[in-house]
Amino acid sequence: MNIIIASALLGVVLMLSGVFLNHAKGKRTLAIFASIILMVVAVVDVMQNTNNTILHFNGLMATNSFTAKLNAVIAFCSMLYIFLFSNEISKVGLNDAEYFALIFFALTGVFILTSYQNMFMLFLGIEILSIPQYILAGSDKRNVKSNEASLKYFLMGAFSTGFLLMGITLIYGATGTFDVSKMALMGSGEPSTIALLGILFLIVALGFKASAAPFHVWTPDVYDGSPTAFTPFMASIAKVAIFAAFIHLFHASFAGLAGRWHIIIIAIIVLTLLIGNVTAVYQQSVKRMLAYSSIAQAGFLLFAVYSLNEISQKGILLYGASYMLATMSIFAVLIKMKDYTFDGFNGLAKKQPVLAFAAAIALFSLAGIPLTGGFFGKYYMLNGAMQNGMPIWVLIFAVLMAAISVYYYFKVIQAMYFKTSIQDATEPDAVIDVPFKVMLIINTALLILLGIYPTIVTIF
Amino acid sequence: MIFLDIAVNSKPMDWFPILLQLGIAVAFAAVMIGATQLLGPKRKTSDKLVNFESGIENVGNARQPMAIKYFLVAILFVLFDVEVIFFYPYAVNFRSLGWDGFLEVLLFITLFLVGFVYIIKKGALQWEE
Repeated sequence: MNIIIASALLGVVLMLSGVFLNHAKGKRTLAIFASIILMVVAVVDVMQNTNNTILHFNGLMATNSFTAKLNAVIAFCSMLYIFLFSNEISKVGLNDAEYFALIFFALTGVFILTSYQNMFMLFLGIEILSIPQYILAGSDKRNVKSNEASLKYFLMGAFSTGFLLMGITLIYGATGTFDVSKMALMGSGEPSTIALLGILFLIVALGFKASAAPFHVWTPDVYDGSPTAFTPFMASIAKVAIFAAFIHLFHASFAGLAGRWHIIIIAIIVLTLLIGNVTAVYQQSVKRMLAYSSIAQAGFLLFAVYSLNEISQKGILLYGASYMLATMSIFAVLIKMKDYTFDGFNGLAKKQPVLAFAAAIALFSLAGIPLTGGFFGKYYMLNGAMQNGMPIWVLIFAVLMAAISVYYYFKVIQAMYFKTSIQDATEPDAVIDVPFKVMLIINTALLILLGIYPTIVTIF
Repeated sequence: MIFLDIAVNSKPMDWFPILLQLGIAVAFAAVMIGATQLLGPKRKTSDKLVNFESGIENVGNARQPMAIKYFLVAILFVLFDVEVIFFYPYAVNFRSLGWDGFLEVLLFITLFLVGFVYIIKKGALQWEE
């Protein structure tokens, strides 16, 4: 619970650093320091937690060992994110301290979403997470695409928030409570139409935030238009938090009505996997391809919503960790490139072997190749859904779609290793110094470690 | 709970009076608007087509660029205005909330002042320049 307070206070400190510190380097150092503090707080939270669920703030929030672990994984990934991208974040515009502050405010929303116990907090968490993202998407003020991304994200986000509120209202009307754990009772007897309608609205709203098809249309434009320094945050940390909220709500409250909403989730999974993967194949720009691939990855994360068992909790930890690490790696390489098209990666392996290797491992992990974290992430997801009686054709379809994803991920690897280019692929003024490379190697090593000892996140 | 019972146990037929009222309301409005259009006299003059500006003659076009300062000050005003509204319920319950309430309001004011310091330092309220 301390981590929510810590991230909000650190956000305020970073915001004030914008007016009291003059050097960009000082603000960056402060942000890195703040991310380390956040990680320490997360570790303390993990050590304090027992397996029992503890309620906070009159039952608004609840923590247990799972939420503490998830918070720690997210805090660790945000630390890596700040380490890898702090240089690029300061370069986006004049208000560098505010960008860091907004990231920490968004993280407050993330930590609320991982451990909420009341639908008020679900709503607040989603808003606290979303509003900084709207601003970050438009932070490159002179760039028309960035403006478009911000406006589109804001309008669509506000619209889906309407759905969320309507869903919460209907559920309240049907059950008379906002408490997530007390709604589990509604499985007994014939459910009211109001409750079913409320669940449908919540699926639409959360599906939108998680960029699941058919609510994904905003994703490519927003991820592509936002400054590259912020896209990995939106595509990884924010998305995993939304899924944690999605899964918590549907497992804790609506498990009794699973027979009614399982079919909708299956339809969304199939559509998301199909649209995400097939559209990604046709992309010219790697950044846009990664936006579509993040839709496809959301399809796999949705399996955890379907499966109502312990495996899905381990799955979200493992899949979340490997997905966040892989997204960080590939974007950390992408941001140093001059040209974001597939041809821009030509011959990177010769000029920058470390970057090319990190990108290759990240893409292996995203595609789910064994010996990387992504493989076991997908394995846990599918296994959990299978244990809960998912139709076998959906699982086969998911594996087929993972095979399609290999095609577009490997196009980048092929360009890096098997094609040659005369000029340097990286941006001339990009900072590729030793600390950056070390962080990238640590990131890559963790991805491989997750592929060999997947239990490392689930036990520690 | 009474509301919930109504919502859960009602039959579609119970809502018929509401549908009836809706139908009558729509029909009434449509008939009235249609009747005035058909029966009323029509004398269009240029003065009648001008936007109503409280009796004052129109000056220029409203759609011209305005300095962002106005919006900034307006939005900050709304922000601080809404924050002040929180003091009213506190003032009413001042005695019953005791020291705990006082400390919480103090925390609130601290956060509020941090925001204010940020705005001042950032130069958001500097009109000149």
